[in-house]
Amino acid sequence: MTREPFDAELDRALDAALGRVLVAPDLPQGFDERLRLALVRAAAQGVDAPTLAQLRQRLEREQHARLTGLQQDYLRLRRRTLAALIGGAFAAGAAAALAMPWLVGHIGRSAPLLMAACGASLGLAIGFGSWLMRPGVALRQFDIQQGES
Amino acid sequence: MQTADVRAASNDQEVLQLLRAGEAGRAFALLLPRFESKIYRLCYALLRERTQAQDAAQESLVRIWRTLHRYDGRAALSTWIYAITRNRCLSALERRRRADGARADVSAADDELAGMPVQLPCSDAGGPSSQQRDAQLRSLVDALPERLRRVLVLYYFEERSVDEVASMLGCPAGTVKTHLFRARAALAGRLRALGLHDPCAWLGGEP
Repeated sequence: MTREPFDAELDRALDAALGRVLVAPDLPQGFDERLRLALVRAAAQGVDAPTLAQLRQRLEREQHARLTGLQQDYLRLRRRTLAALIGGAFAAGAAAALAMPWLVGHIGRSAPLLMAACGASLGLAIGFGSWLMRPGVALRQFDIQQGES
Repeated sequence: MQTADVRAASNDQEVLQLLRAGEAGRAFALLLPRFESKIYRLCYALLRERTQAQDAAQESLVRIWRTLHRYDGRAALSTWIYAITRNRCLSALERRRRADGARADVSAADDELAGMPVQLPCSDAGGPSSQQRDAQLRSLVDALPERLRRVLVLYYFEERSVDEVASMLGCPAGTVKTHLFRARAALAGRLRALGLHDPCAWLGGEP
């Protein structure tokens, strides 16, 4: 900012012009009536009714608690899924071991190989299916469709 | 000025006595005519927009009504009232900043001469009408840095009372005087930079 010499005459003219231009605004029409209604509303709520800031804080606390609950539910679901997978694998192994003599009697000596092939195919099908249905793929497809349209 | 101060102090005492007597409603009725216009002007100076200023003034007055029973007389009544009003306005500015996604008017206060228009669409040679000149001067004021602008605007709103502006903005009178000087110097500099042949005549409305 360059320093200009003080010009008293210009300052006086500016003061007068600003006094002319910057006139205090009057209260808007109906202000008192609206204020009276707002006071009546506030009185109906009570003097200690929560302010907007308090309401906002309360909502934020509630939202935080809800998010924490959702996060815990999600973790619980993952743990249960893992437990179900491990339990299912053990149960499938036990069932295969029990059924193996009967299968060998009916199918022949290739029964274990056939069982293993079926199990592997089923596992691969489930894995590939869940990979295709993961949320990222769906979202990418949505993006592609949006881009095309 | 002294008479006004004495009157204000006695008014504060009267309000305090009513509050001690448990008559908050009468105390509010007593302070309302004295402060409602000033509160609105402060809101308008800070928010620049009439509708928002009206809302903020109303919110401030409701807040004052709600919390008046807590006023203990340690600070002047005006100091307490203007602090509530400024807080309401800051909240409104914050809401507006969030809504706009633009930088806050409050923080814009720091860059001294940022935002000043490079050129006005007129000079003294063309002879614009006095209304146009007033509008141009207003746009120059609007382009001042925020902290200078609000002091300048309130100073003229409050009939050139430095003490009243200091009380409204919650800052020392010396700061108000400094900001006023800087604001006028910035405006004068801007008028000179516009290449006006005679800025005094231009301001006076002479062709």
